[in-house]
Amino acid sequence: MSNPRASPDARRRPFPITPRIAVALSILVAGALAWMVLDAPFAKLVPQEGGLRVVRAFFARALTPALDYESPVPESTPHILMQALAAARRTLVFAAAGMSVALVLGIVLGFLSTTAWWAGDLVGGSSPLRRALARTVGPAVWSASRALIVLMRSVHELLWAVLFLAAFGLNTGGAVAAIAIPYGGTLAKIFSEMVEETPRDAALALRGAGAGPLQVFFFGLVPRAGPDLAAYAFYRFECAVRSAAVLGFFGFPTLGYAIAQSFENLHYGEVWTYLYALVVLVVTIELWSGALRRRFVA
Amino acid sequence: MIPGSAAFELHGAGVVFSGRAALTEASLVVDPGEALALVGPSGAGKTTLLRLLNASQAPTSGSVCVDYERLDALSPEKLRAVRTRIGFVHQDLALIPNYRVLSNVIAGSLGRMGFVASVRTMLFPRRAAVERAAAILERVGIGEKLYQRTDSLSGGQRQRVALARALFQEPSALLLDEPVSSVDPARARDMVELVADISRERGITLVVSIHDIELARAYFPRLVGLRAGRVVFDGPTGSIAPRDLSALYSLEGLDRVEPARIP
Repeated sequence: MSNPRASPDARRRPFPITPRIAVALSILVAGALAWMVLDAPFAKLVPQEGGLRVVRAFFARALTPALDYESPVPESTPHILMQALAAARRTLVFAAAGMSVALVLGIVLGFLSTTAWWAGDLVGGSSPLRRALARTVGPAVWSASRALIVLMRSVHELLWAVLFLAAFGLNTGGAVAAIAIPYGGTLAKIFSEMVEETPRDAALALRGAGAGPLQVFFFGLVPRAGPDLAAYAFYRFECAVRSAAVLGFFGFPTLGYAIAQSFENLHYGEVWTYLYALVVLVVTIELWSGALRRRFVA
Repeated sequence: MIPGSAAFELHGAGVVFSGRAALTEASLVVDPGEALALVGPSGAGKTTLLRLLNASQAPTSGSVCVDYERLDALSPEKLRAVRTRIGFVHQDLALIPNYRVLSNVIAGSLGRMGFVASVRTMLFPRRAAVERAAAILERVGIGEKLYQRTDSLSGGQRQRVALARALFQEPSALLLDEPVSSVDPARARDMVELVADISRERGITLVVSIHDIELARAYFPRLVGLRAGRVVFDGPTGSIAPRDLSALYSLEGLDRVEPARIP
């Protein structure tokens, strides 16, 4: 830069700006700028006296979750542990219902948004129909499904929930759809990427043995990506459980609803009880999916 | 014509990949039930020629006929039907590693059925299909591997799975691409012998690409030499002069037969 002799001998410069360093530097600069724009957010994290009392009271109950209600309840109310169990069960049901729809959406849109069912190398043939498929129909369906996936994913499940609440009121179907839509989009995106990255040799071999495009896709490509697809679907199921719990804050009868109510009444022990129920639920799913993976993948 | 065995014809077939000729003016007639080896160094066009024969590759010039029908005149459905009759064992085997051996073998029959039937067959294979797969695996020497995961097998065993998948198609021709490249010499000999025997038993046409001249001479009555994308000799094994064979692999003169560059 300042020294004209340096340019033909760039390797000897003390600090060569490689692309990698440039990227790292620009990330650092972007981070610093964000802090400045937000006016040093940590400075405002010092709690007020009242706030500090709440925090202390909340964490004081972390190791002593409530084993009974902290205020009188009607006699017909089930025991708090039964209540937590029931809420956990409903959380699981909401998550499972949302995921089952999301899986169907993910598989269908994931298939449509890969190039594998129309790109020349896998489908082959040169009839006018095939050429039309590869030139117009395929790319059109591919772009349309990609756009749909982006739309589904770019709205968070909580925003979908707010939208459906406004439209349909407190409707179970709304909660399930709020999970199913963004999760379906995410599954579709990841599924199609995994399938596109799968080695195509076996798929091409099946095509060479006369298999059709659908068969090539579902028996030559998908099974090979299967373990990864399954692992990712399990991970998303775990996420769906947490999302279902949070949907309770909007009034759906999941763990979030119980947490929100107890929190409003300052019953921190109860909050911890429900939080631990959520933790147990997530850990159980993790153990279960791990066991399944070992059984089928290893 | 032997029933259930395929005939192939290439007429001046050429294949050009992004400006580079992989095969130039190749002509070849393979009669039903014949067994022949394509010999030549790597890059000579052996794989391309095999891919022409099972319609995996369309020729850029010239024509390809299978069972006396020009492939470029066939509808996609007819083309699929032709492919189901031709078993192809790829050099890289092209198996699905996390399938059981059984599933990989049965996948050979997908071309003969519709999508719904293929879902059923792959998930819940009929007993008859399982027994047929088991019999074929037995014939290729790995009968006991039926329910093992494919990626738990050795290279030689996986090669036999690929052969079994091709045989499960009940093909009228078997095409093998470099069956000896992925295994040690002793196993390579076994494999070539096995393929030659099976083709004779079933009366099916056999075309094998092979760079090992000695193996080719030992097991195939007809040799076709390829060099730089051109057929340089073609005839009964006994009639081919050792000089022609050694010329196939010499570096001399390669510049003269360098494939034509398309501007």
